[in-house]
Amino acid sequence: MATLNDLKISEVKLSEGEGGKWGMVIDQDICTGCQACVAACAMENNISFVGEEDSGYGRSMHWIRIERFWEGEYPEVKMTPNQPMLCQQCGSAPCEPVCPAFATVHSQAEKLNLQVYNRCVGTRYCANNCPYQVRSFNWRDYKRPEPLANQLNPDVTVRRRGVMEKCTFCIQRIHKAQDQAKAEGREVMDGEFTTACAQACPANAITFGRTDDPRSLVSQLAKRRGHGAKHLEELGTLPNVTYFKGG
Amino acid sequence: MTDHKNHAEHAEAHLREKHLMLDPLPRGRMNEMVMESMRHITWKFWVVFGILAAISAYGLFYSWGVMIAEGLGVAGVNRPVYWGIFLVNTVFWIGISHAGTFISAILRVFKAEFRRPFTRAAELMTTFGLVQAGFSIFMHMGRVWLSYWLMPYPNQRLLWPNLHSPLSWDLLAITTYILGSTMYLFLPLIPDMAMARDRSTGWRKTLYKILALGFRGTEGEWTHLRNAMNIFAFAIIPVMFSVHTIVSWDFAAATRPGWSSTIFGPYFVIGALHSGMGAVITVLAIIRGTMKHMKYFIRPEHFDAIGKLMLIISMTWAYFFFNDYMVQWYGGDKWTKQLLHFHEAGPMGWMWFAMLVCNVVIPWAILWNPKWRSTPWLVSTVGIIINVGMWFERYIIVPISLTINRMPFTWRMYQPGIEIPLGIGTLAFFALLYMAASKLIPLIPVWEVQEGQMAHELKKFGRETVVTVSELE
Amino acid sequence: MAESKIVDILAVFPDLEPAADAIEHLRSLGVHDECMNVISGIPVTEAMLGRPSQWTNVPRIAMGGAILGFGAGVFLAFISPYVYPYPVQVSSQAFVPGPPTFVVLFELTMLGMLLSTFLGVFLDSLFPNYRPMKYVPEVSDGKIAILVECSHVEENKITDALKKLGAESVKPAEAQHL
Repeated sequence: MATLNDLKISEVKLSEGEGGKWGMVIDQDICTGCQACVAACAMENNISFVGEEDSGYGRSMHWIRIERFWEGEYPEVKMTPNQPMLCQQCGSAPCEPVCPAFATVHSQAEKLNLQVYNRCVGTRYCANNCPYQVRSFNWRDYKRPEPLANQLNPDVTVRRRGVMEKCTFCIQRIHKAQDQAKAEGREVMDGEFTTACAQACPANAITFGRTDDPRSLVSQLAKRRGHGAKHLEELGTLPNVTYFKGG
Repeated sequence: MTDHKNHAEHAEAHLREKHLMLDPLPRGRMNEMVMESMRHITWKFWVVFGILAAISAYGLFYSWGVMIAEGLGVAGVNRPVYWGIFLVNTVFWIGISHAGTFISAILRVFKAEFRRPFTRAAELMTTFGLVQAGFSIFMHMGRVWLSYWLMPYPNQRLLWPNLHSPLSWDLLAITTYILGSTMYLFLPLIPDMAMARDRSTGWRKTLYKILALGFRGTEGEWTHLRNAMNIFAFAIIPVMFSVHTIVSWDFAAATRPGWSSTIFGPYFVIGALHSGMGAVITVLAIIRGTMKHMKYFIRPEHFDAIGKLMLIISMTWAYFFFNDYMVQWYGGDKWTKQLLHFHEAGPMGWMWFAMLVCNVVIPWAILWNPKWRSTPWLVSTVGIIINVGMWFERYIIVPISLTINRMPFTWRMYQPGIEIPLGIGTLAFFALLYMAASKLIPLIPVWEVQEGQMAHELKKFGRETVVTVSELE
Repeated sequence: MAESKIVDILAVFPDLEPAADAIEHLRSLGVHDECMNVISGIPVTEAMLGRPSQWTNVPRIAMGGAILGFGAGVFLAFISPYVYPYPVQVSSQAFVPGPPTFVVLFELTMLGMLLSTFLGVFLDSLFPNYRPMKYVPEVSDGKIAILVECSHVEENKITDALKKLGAESVKPAEAQHL
């Protein structure tokens, strides 16, 4: 008679086992909410300045944002730790399959969630299907007043109106480091480079690196702190960002 | 004895007066009436036509141009409400389009005889409604000038659309449906075009001559046409179901509270029929009230029959709505709970209750009564109310449900901007196309009416006179 | 050579019954079914007129279109994911996703079938056709016209017979612009 063991559950390939490559650890306990990461990200990635009015209407275009919450009713309010929120570079991203144009796809090489600006036609389905709500849409062609146009990062595409964008884990920096390492005939070293947000964080609350390498700083941190949490893990999105809180 | 005879005669006269199919006129006379209804254009027609043309020009074409030039910032969409009234209108218009197919295909397949005089009026709504749905979905796109990228076509870069996406299925389904329903509108029109060709002059003659394709009515032509219409009637029904099911999957396939519901497919299909039937009855009342000779073809019996269908559909809609609500409520997911609470008690709670009143309470209160549902103005008012209710339903599903997500930090209300003139523009453009068509193509399929009148007769069973139909096909 | 001259006669009948009688009578006069054609403003069936069944290719063309459409669906659903320069991965779904392929196959099969059914009517009926044709406009007023093809010699005999059988008008058919 067939038993449950015959189903060989262990042989069912769980996508969870696949794991990521690049990852991030964010320590909410030491985040001061200073927004330096938000500013650095905007500079690095040529993010448009939306302006007060649109920003106030929910059209801010930050790839990383600091979420602040409080508990209780005024005046008895208690702040909870700040929560930097950015694209979680899901291993099984809900945003990817819903794009009719293949404008957001999974990178096999870097195990990242890519956004192909040139291919985007602006259906905004990906943004609806993102449980973390971390995608930004170019609602208009926002002007860059002089001299701001002079500080554009030449390594990053400038997006036009009608296009979706989101955090890339500073893929331009990843590629630069990889090219450099290749030219010198070696592997990319841990800590050789980092993302703009991690670089700018004065409290060192953000750490970026290879999560598939147990010796890297991110892996070490994750191990030492022990109780890292992933956001909305129950949805099976396999996020690559780990949060520490209350340790 | 004579008293009894008188009574029987009276009953017979009453039946003949009531049913178009028992009140035949010579075919030549019916042709004349239909031709006259097209040719008869009053100054009032031109005034309304002009107003609608102006609204379409400003609301649809100018506003859309502004939005293409400025970007979607001129609309009210934001984070987290990435989809706004554009999607509401897309679903709404696709819903309207379902009535035409329902009437001309399902009722044809089941040989529901009351369909005969208004199959075309309903089919026209399908085609023109789908045009508005197409406008609405293209408006919604950030870079509409690149929308051809969604079509599968061979290209140098070997890029194909992503068929994992419900939006790609939508594109295939809506393309199939708009082509299918337009062809299905055209096929039964060919004999009527030949009829119009035979009795018109000048530019009309040229137009009908081209559109009649040289149809004479030979045995072969009729056989090919009948076969084709039969295939269409059966084949377009599953296409119709697939279209609105796929539209519902745009929502149901997403990982969002309130959207991820397995019952959305049939719930959307029945919702589409609900708004579609409401729209058909409204259009029929307008045609009957404004066009010449239409009181002969469209009678209270037709309003009664559609009214019954509306009542059944309203009950089915209520069943699906409750089913969807019940299971979501029972699931107890904290985000879904939050969303349901927001629907009912949030700032837009009035819309949630108005939806139930418009879709269930009012239709049930009026349509149960045969006399009331045979009254054109009353039942068409119910039709309009149902459409308001169904628009609210889509508004609740799209922008209101998008307000609540799993990231409370991003919760934000949606305030429509240029969507309003654009939405009114599609409504005006729909009416404009319909008005133009009502003067250019015979709205009544005369040959189908004549065929029906041949098939119907009165028969006596004992003392009672009843209507009988013979199957001619 | 006079015998072999073929003439067309167009007889208009007010109703179904006399038209059906006329067809029967014509047959007894030796007119072949292939030499007759009925023109009507409503779809009177062959059975009503006692005429042989008409051949139509529409269902076959529809089937052919459905097969072509299915083929296009197979290409889109199963082949197009592999013609990319490199396979494109979305989420954890396979390159060829399971259930969505059914949606694609269904829609394209139906599209192929509907388009070819429509096309079938055009092919079978030789539409559009704007050449002069033998026709009487009374047909769209509900009259039934019989178009008889016969030899020059029999013309008078057949004309008389048709008149006797209740034809409203019998005249030599002339091709005219519709």
